[in-house]
Amino acid sequence: MRKRITAAAGLAALALSATACAGGGTSTPKAASGSGSSAKNGGSGTELAVPTGPVTITFEEAMTIGTLKPAMEKLVSDFQAKYPNITVKLQGDPDYGTMYTKEKAEVQAGNAPTLGQAYESWASYFQSAGKLVPIGDLAGTDTPAEMSTFYKGIQTDMKLPDGKTWMWPFNKSVLVLFENSDMLAKDGQTDPKTWDDYATVMKAVSKDGVTGSTVDPGSATGAAYGTQWFEILAEANGAKLYDADGTPHLSDPGAVKALQYMQDLKNANALATGKNYPGETALGAQKGAFDISSAAGYGFENKTVGGKFKLGITALPSGPAGAVNELTGTNIVMFTGATADQKAAAWAFLKFIDSPAEQAGWSATSGYLPVTSQALSDPVMQAFVAKNPYVTAAVSELDTAFTLPGYSWIFKCQGYEATAIQEVLENGKQPSDALNTAQSACTAAKAQG
Amino acid sequence: MTATTQAVQAPAAPPGPARRGRARDFRATRWGWAYSAPAVLVFLAFVIVPTGYTFYVSLWKWNALNPALSKFKGLGNYSRLFDATQPTFLSSLGHSLYFTGAMVVGGTAISLALALLLQRGGMLLNGTRAAIFLPHATPVIATSMIWTWIFNYKFGLADWILHSLHLPTSQWLQSSSSAMPAVVIYSLWHEVGFTTVVFLGGLATLSNELSEAARVDGCSGWQEFWHVTWHQLKPVTVFVIAITAITSLQAFTQFYQLANGGPAYATTTLSYLVYQEAFVFSDTGYGAALAVVLFAVTVFFTLVRRRTAAGGESHALV
Repeated sequence: MRKRITAAAGLAALALSATACAGGGTSTPKAASGSGSSAKNGGSGTELAVPTGPVTITFEEAMTIGTLKPAMEKLVSDFQAKYPNITVKLQGDPDYGTMYTKEKAEVQAGNAPTLGQAYESWASYFQSAGKLVPIGDLAGTDTPAEMSTFYKGIQTDMKLPDGKTWMWPFNKSVLVLFENSDMLAKDGQTDPKTWDDYATVMKAVSKDGVTGSTVDPGSATGAAYGTQWFEILAEANGAKLYDADGTPHLSDPGAVKALQYMQDLKNANALATGKNYPGETALGAQKGAFDISSAAGYGFENKTVGGKFKLGITALPSGPAGAVNELTGTNIVMFTGATADQKAAAWAFLKFIDSPAEQAGWSATSGYLPVTSQALSDPVMQAFVAKNPYVTAAVSELDTAFTLPGYSWIFKCQGYEATAIQEVLENGKQPSDALNTAQSACTAAKAQG
Repeated sequence: MTATTQAVQAPAAPPGPARRGRARDFRATRWGWAYSAPAVLVFLAFVIVPTGYTFYVSLWKWNALNPALSKFKGLGNYSRLFDATQPTFLSSLGHSLYFTGAMVVGGTAISLALALLLQRGGMLLNGTRAAIFLPHATPVIATSMIWTWIFNYKFGLADWILHSLHLPTSQWLQSSSSAMPAVVIYSLWHEVGFTTVVFLGGLATLSNELSEAARVDGCSGWQEFWHVTWHQLKPVTVFVIAITAITSLQAFTQFYQLANGGPAYATTTLSYLVYQEAFVFSDTGYGAALAVVLFAVTVFFTLVRRRTAAGGESHALV
């Protein structure tokens, strides 16, 4: 839920203005503003123009708590101020699980929203049933001009394994390290630069009722930050958990080493497990020194800490393979069934929310990272970065952050990863055994499709 | 069958009484069917048809978003039950039976004991009855959320109490070995209020003469309970066991909220697995196959109960 958003496109704003002026009626196609618009790129060659008549679009979203709600509402009010003929109706959900269930039910009932937040694996599921509109149908090209302004990791994340662009970036983020700076200073510790450093510091501060960190390993039905931490550790050890075609390598030596690392911390009483953002709770209660969480969680962490101590935020430590991070958060997909006017209005909305100015405001309020570097020069974003220097390091990882391949069954495989972590940390199973089981189950899931 | 035979063999009755007899069997008339029709249609629409449709779906690799893309698999989803490793079908069935056994034995014993303690009445005991019943009136999802925090091993009330009493603490929902007992504890807290009231109702109908006679004959308190009171409560006990077994086999919400079927599938029951496969992983055909098996298991236990209760006094209750 706290993953994050943003993105920008200076050209998007210009294109919107241009299309608004050019629109003489309802959603008439216009020449694509993107580079190389052509059918062979997956687009029609013509971009949908902003409709001039009244249009209402719906957006299934989960930005409904904390600072996310006002940030989401501001995006909508800004858009509606610019396009008063378009109404964006938010269909808010309390969490991602509920949202996904609703989206599936709405699609089954033939009553899908115009737009909806979706992880890559969800998008794959909808797309395989023919229920998504490709971006090429909206932009006239599979590679709209705005796309080139997005960070490279974000660009990769917009495509499904068929190579086509099916998603538009929204609330994107990476993981960062939240820490009790006062506790570390009191113990003579400094920010860990490598995962080995991290283990040393975690063990050193785990005393007098303090456990270095508490993580949610996730469950069979969904990944959590603990699952993603394992994935990052594995890749930092040189493992490649999934090939581009989804072939899993969950029992690779790098992955086994990652899980062994976590087990060693647990055995040294430097790592605990829990549910419902346990790291944040423990950190706030001064029972933990670190919490690995999304950069978008800053507002929540800060509120939990409540000024009791200095909350430090740093980039994740690096491993033998260097600095590795994983992209978190969702994209936006458009469902089939929307009218031509709704598609045109929704496309205008997508481009608008990823424009640099809107991304700056969204990031500064929600904590999600901007999807375009152009937002960083906006005064609002500059002021935010000045107060939160961690953003610079976090944003720099958006170019290299990895994502898991967009297959629907990857969702299951992450559940197998989470179960392996539970088996090791809570039942004392050998990491290699647990990961071999996960590997077999994931291979079977891939075969079943 | 016997009744039918007797009716056929019975001598022809005078026209008047025969007409009255037919009129009494109102259910067999067109008006009887007409009055029953709304309930029958609702039952058909929301129970019978979905049950049949579930079996149909279980034979396919079902694409819930676009059924036209579904592929027929025959009994393939059923054979997958025995191929699955994460979790295995048998482990999920085992967890269902573990939970059901604990709820039947624990729930029946605790509610019977509470009913015996509370049967005398009085303001204090009436208040206690209400307090015991109150959890049953609360939504499972809401109270499960509260119990998630009670079972928190770092900040929770449960471990705080154990620690205060110098007893060993538990990881509760965080450990595979203690997660299911934790769910059972919550479920007993939530359910015994209802079964206690059922036993109280049964106790209120018992004859005092037998107990008085037993005491006059020198029975101890335990003997009186075992041979007189509980014996008379047999139909009520059978009802409590049946209803607890069925609701326990179908229990879902507490597993969803308290433990998400974990850790490491330790609380993944058949009903939770149906949800996980059908609604989380969108593997609708396999989820439907699991639902059919859960249906069969429930029917099996219902038939066992009917057979064990055959000829007993429980027919009026169950």
